[in-house]
Amino acid sequence: MNTAIETRSLSVTFATSSGHVTALHDLNIVVPKGTVFGFLGPNGAGKSTTMHVLLGFIAATSGEAMIFGKDVRETIARQSIGYLPERPDTYPFLTGRELLHISGRLFELKKHIIRERTQSLLEKVGLTAAADRRTATYSRGMLQRLCLAQALINDPELVILDEPTGGLDPFGRMDIRKIIHDLRDAGKTVFFSSHELSEVELACDHIAIVAEGHVIASGPADTLVPEEENLERYFMRVVREHSDASRAKQQPF
Amino acid sequence: MKRIIAIAYVVWLNLLRKKDLYVLFILLAALLVTLVSLNIFGLGHATGYVKDIGLLLTWIFGWILSISITARQLPTEESRRTIFPLLAKPLTRGQLIMGKWVGSWSVVSTATAAFYALTYLIVVGMGGHLTAPVLVQGFVLHATALGVVCAMALVFSTRMNSDAACTLTYVLSGASFLVVPRIPQLMAKETGLGSDLLLILYNFLPHFEAFDIRRRIVHDYGRMPSGLFALSLLYGIVLIASLLLIAWIAYRKKHFSRGSML
Ligand SMILES: Nc1ncnc2c1ncn2[C@@H]1O[C@H](COP(=O)(O)OP(=O)(O)OP(=O)(O)O)[C@@H](O)[C@H]1O
Ligand SMILES: [Mg+2]
Repeated sequence: MNTAIETRSLSVTFATSSGHVTALHDLNIVVPKGTVFGFLGPNGAGKSTTMHVLLGFIAATSGEAMIFGKDVRETIARQSIGYLPERPDTYPFLTGRELLHISGRLFELKKHIIRERTQSLLEKVGLTAAADRRTATYSRGMLQRLCLAQALINDPELVILDEPTGGLDPFGRMDIRKIIHDLRDAGKTVFFSSHELSEVELACDHIAIVAEGHVIASGPADTLVPEEENLERYFMRVVREHSDASRAKQQPF
Repeated sequence: MKRIIAIAYVVWLNLLRKKDLYVLFILLAALLVTLVSLNIFGLGHATGYVKDIGLLLTWIFGWILSISITARQLPTEESRRTIFPLLAKPLTRGQLIMGKWVGSWSVVSTATAAFYALTYLIVVGMGGHLTAPVLVQGFVLHATALGVVCAMALVFSTRMNSDAACTLTYVLSGASFLVVPRIPQLMAKETGLGSDLLLILYNFLPHFEAFDIRRRIVHDYGRMPSGLFALSLLYGIVLIASLLLIAWIAYRKKHFSRGSML
C-alpha cells in the first residue's frame, strides 16, 4: 500500500441553472505515500472539486477515488486526514483554543493528548497570544493559521491543503513551508493546491497540473520542468498549449 | 458518542455566548410580569387561572425556542462553511444530526424547566397549590413534545435554509397541535375522499395532545397513571426516532458544493 491518494477516471458534473458544468473529466492522479504533492492549475481547473470528492463532500459522477486504498465514501477513510478548506472560516463564538479542543474531540482523542497538541500547534502557527480570544476577532490570516492547526490536531498521515498560503503574509508563507517540511520529515503525505508557484517549487516532490478537469502534466518536481524554464513559465506554457489545443478541437476550421 | 456530545457542546456554547440568552431572560420576564399582573388585576386568588396562563406561555415559548434554535443549526454550518472541516473528520452525517438534536433539545428543555420553575414559584408564592409529581410528569412529557418539534425542524433544515425550515415546522407542528385532536369531530361530518384524507392526516401527523397534561396540572386531577405515562413517552420516543431517521436519510447523500447552501 504505497499510494496515499488515487483517482481513476474521476468525473464530476454539476447541474446549474444554465446547464451542466463539467468540473472534472476523467481525472487520474496517484499521490505516493510520503510525498509532498503540488496540485496546480488555473482558476476553475477543478482543484478544489477534486479535494471535495476526496473528502466525501460531493460524490463523483463517475470513476473512483481512494485514500490509503479505501473508498472515500467510507467514514473510516477520514480518520487520518487533515483538511484545510479553501476559504477557511470557523465558529466566531469559540476561542482558537476551544476550536482545537473540539476538533480533537471529534477525533475521539484523549484529553491530555488534545491539550498537548493544542499547545504545540498554537505555537507552530504563531497563535499562542491570540489563543484565548474569540475567533470573531481574528484577521483573515489568523483564521487561516487556526484552521491549519485544526487540520493537524489528529497528527494526520495525509494532509490536504487547499491554497494554504492564500491570505498569508511572507512570514506566514514561510511558516507554512516549514510546517510542510516538518510533515514530510515525519513521513506524512501532503497534497496541496497553490497559485504561489515559487513556493510550490521549493516545497514539492511531485507536481500535477490540471486544466479544465484534466491532468495536463505531472511528474517529479525535479524532472518535470525543463532546465531552461522555471515552474511558472512551464505552467503558463502548458496551460496555454492545452487551452489552444482544446479550442482548436472545438472549432476545427 | 463523544462526537455527538462534542457537536451538542458547540450548540450550547453558541447559545450561551450569543445574544440568545437574553431572549430567554426576556421570555422569563414576560412570564413573570404576566402572572404577577394577573394577581394585581384581582384574578390572583383564582390561582387556577395563573397556572393556566403560566403553562400556556410555557408551551408557547418552548415551541418557539425549539423551532428557532434547531432549524438554523445545519443551515448556518453550511452558510459559514464550517460544515467542511466537520465532514472532513471521521464524523458521520448521522452523528452530526444526532449531535445537533441532542444539543438543541437539551438547551430547549433546560429553558423550559426554568419556565416551569418560575410558574411553580409564582403559584406557590401566591398561596396556590401545585403537586410536584404531576408537574414533573407534565414537564417530562412536555420535553418529549419539544424533542419531536426539534426533530421535525431538523428534518426540514437538512434540505432547506433556516427561514423555510422554520416556517414549515411552525405550520406543521402548529397544525398538528391545533387540528389533529379535532379530526374525529371533523370526520363525522365528512364523507368519501375528504374523510379518507382526514384519516390519513390523523394517522400520520404527530399527536401532541398525548404530551399535554396541562388540564390535569391546573385542576389538580392527580398523577397520570404510570402505564399511560409510559405509553405517551414511548410514543414520543418512536416519533423522535422516526423523524431523526428521516433527517438522516435526507442528509446522508447530500452534496456539499458551492452554491447549494444558499
Ligand atoms: N456547485 C457548483 N456548481 C456549478 N459549478 C461548480 C460548482 N462547484 C464548482 N463548479 C465549477 O467547477 C469548476 C472547477 O472549480 P474548482 O473550484 O474545483 O476550481 P479550482 O481549481 O479550485 O479553482 P481556484 O484556483 O479558483 O480555486 C469551475 O468551473 C467551477 O465553476
Ligand atoms: Mg479552489
